[in-house]
Amino acid sequence: MASDPQSAANQRIVEDLVSRLRRRQLVGSRAAALETLLVLRQVVSKARSSNINQLVNIIRAVGRRLVEAQPKEHSVGNTVRKVLHHIREEYHTASEKPVVESSFSIAKFVLQGQPRKQTTIVRSGSEARAPLKENDPNDPDSFARVLKPVLMEAIQDVFDELETVYDNISKNAKDHIHSDEIILTLGTSKTVDSFLKAAAHYRNYTVIVAETAPSYGGREMAKSLSSAGISTFLVPDSSIYALMSRVNKVILGAHAILANGGMFATSGSLLAATAARSYSTPVVVCAGQFKLTPLWNLYHEHGALDFGDPSAVLGFDEGDLVEKVDVINPYYDYVRPELLDVFITNYGDHPPSSIYRLLKETYDDEDNEL
Amino acid sequence: MPEPSPTSAPASTDSPTLTKAQKKAEGRARQEQQRAAKAAQKQQQQQQSGQGPAGSSSTKPKGSATPRKSGLESNTAASSSKDTEGAGGADGSSDGPKSRGLRIFSHFGLPKTPGHQIKGDIHPVIVRLGLQFSEFKICGANARCIATLTAFKTVIQDYVTPPHNTLSRHLMTHLSPQITHLVNARPMSVTMGNAIRQLKLEISGSDIDLPEQDAKDALCHKIDNYIRDRIIIADEVIEDLAVKKIKDGDVVLTYARSSLVEKILLRAHSLNKRFSVIVIDSRPLLEGKTLLHSLTSTIPPIPCTYALLPALPSLITESDIVLLGAHSLHANGSVYSRAGTAMVAMLAKEHTVPVMLCCETYKFSETVMLDGFGKNELAPTKFSPDAPKSNSNLEILNPLYDSTPASCITAVVTEVGLIPPTSISSIPLALGRMSL
Repeated sequence: MASDPQSAANQRIVEDLVSRLRRRQLVGSRAAALETLLVLRQVVSKARSSNINQLVNIIRAVGRRLVEAQPKEHSVGNTVRKVLHHIREEYHTASEKPVVESSFSIAKFVLQGQPRKQTTIVRSGSEARAPLKENDPNDPDSFARVLKPVLMEAIQDVFDELETVYDNISKNAKDHIHSDEIILTLGTSKTVDSFLKAAAHYRNYTVIVAETAPSYGGREMAKSLSSAGISTFLVPDSSIYALMSRVNKVILGAHAILANGGMFATSGSLLAATAARSYSTPVVVCAGQFKLTPLWNLYHEHGALDFGDPSAVLGFDEGDLVEKVDVINPYYDYVRPELLDVFITNYGDHPPSSIYRLLKETYDDEDNEL
Repeated sequence: MPEPSPTSAPASTDSPTLTKAQKKAEGRARQEQQRAAKAAQKQQQQQQSGQGPAGSSSTKPKGSATPRKSGLESNTAASSSKDTEGAGGADGSSDGPKSRGLRIFSHFGLPKTPGHQIKGDIHPVIVRLGLQFSEFKICGANARCIATLTAFKTVIQDYVTPPHNTLSRHLMTHLSPQITHLVNARPMSVTMGNAIRQLKLEISGSDIDLPEQDAKDALCHKIDNYIRDRIIIADEVIEDLAVKKIKDGDVVLTYARSSLVEKILLRAHSLNKRFSVIVIDSRPLLEGKTLLHSLTSTIPPIPCTYALLPALPSLITESDIVLLGAHSLHANGSVYSRAGTAMVAMLAKEHTVPVMLCCETYKFSETVMLDGFGKNELAPTKFSPDAPKSNSNLEILNPLYDSTPASCITAVVTEVGLIPPTSISSIPLALGRMSL
């Protein structure tokens, strides 16, 4: 931001989000992604730039600032990358340089030739527009004036996509859950919640929810699912293995999907996935596309990359113990791609092995490091 | 199934019991009618929509079961008027939607209510023990077995052979209602089963010509020997064997609380071994906290790390050995133990951490166990106070046990040595007994 001379207002909204991320007042991948997008929209609309590089640099600077505030909230960085990707795409279309886009896209392929919304809008919109001029000394604002409306439109598309992400993921829920199946899930995940509820419109099935200590998010999940009329069983985490022999499918939420097809997810997911593997039960992950993260996690076998409040595990009511005992409360597990069967995203269903391809299409390589 | 609870309803004072019971029976009948109507409607709908054959077949038994159950319920309502014990209002309301649960979970049964009825001539010691069992005041395979045998000693001492009977033939008929009472309080553990089988053998083998008091003393002596040989001495031998596997600098991981693992760790500490312990724990019982208390109250305290089961993947990489206890060990080598044990063993195997199962030979069972689902037990609801209330769509299940496959266990430490879990079946013979 230092290179950006103007608008203290921009600075202010960025700093506001940074502090909220840092204080963990803003948690949850989708919420963080939405807030990031709002900030980026503001930044783009205020930014003064006479060529594409300036604009990209401004956004990258903002992105870096946000990511540093909370490096574990991967959806922030992902949103920035996605916006950058769209900006470049728009720029290429506007400057009428043909985009070197591969004709084969796995997302399009999986979605059976549905054209991506934003590309069609852009093409039709950019027809009538005046040619884009960069670094024009006579008219320094011409770049922004021409490109800005298109960019705002593109950001709005990303925004719409985020808004409808749950609906798009749960669109095909009934193809994945069949009648009289027993599904195991754990923790709270809005994505899984809407997926299961969508399937409940068509199918009669049972959900076993592991309560996921110490946050006990599973209890909220069980309440929510049972209030939607789904037959729900709430069990402690310890009984996952005992019940796994009767479970038809394990459905998990993700915190971040990694480039190798693995994922970070609520702690407890690895146990459930490993238990599922020993009974050959399929493991299905529901996640929005904004969770795709161009990161690799080859060297951290253990997923404890972030730790929560230990008092949830061993409270202060155990007075004398607290002094003598180390208490560990990791937030996330790293689940290896071999343990997962499919990712259900709003860009279609993908096996872990094709995640890298999806990443290449969604983001530009140069943005992997913001 | 409605189980009339002994807690009397608060409203029982103002209205005569008979009218109240009648009212209740009426209400029940109405409820049943509505439910049957609803079920029939549902069936019709499903038939109309022409679901698969699986769908219709699954609803049919439900429909046919309803009228039979209503008969049963009206029976109990009528009988409760005779018994003058008003079924608690809370009980009735929780009974209403109970039939919803999946049938595959039905064999778990309901968690026992603590104050179950006393039928027949039950010795006060056994009544007390039954309460301690059902309240989980005495919990754990060893503790329950020792408590049962000690109580039986009192029962045998207080027993008087009726005229025209012999002790060896009649004592068992006196003991069996006592056993039934204990089983009603909580399902019998394998250890209790094995001990009682041994006791039966001793009773039937006792000399007819012996004076009654001598015979009783002899039996009590046999019981003492059993406790000493099969549990106490066995534990000491296992401690000696297992302690050798803990080396200086090791990180020992254990799950929940096994009395035997606790003794092993304390013994290793008293032998001045430098090691640290990771205690993994989980609801519903959270027994690991008890283990933490005893491990940290030593001087100097054993360095401990405590975490709940979901955190296990982060900790298993740091541990050098896993020590586990068992409820029972089955002929196919599978281990029936506290729920969660199986996942600890599974993850340890994946990370090639050796898993040592500590288990006395009297915990062996000749039955085969294929998964932890067929046979299990539910923890009473008092162990999940914070959980949401169950309703027609939501049920809370707290299974107490699971079954670990033999492939996840590196070695079983018994008093006859370290053996692989698959050779369990050869051990009773090694001990010179044809039966356990």
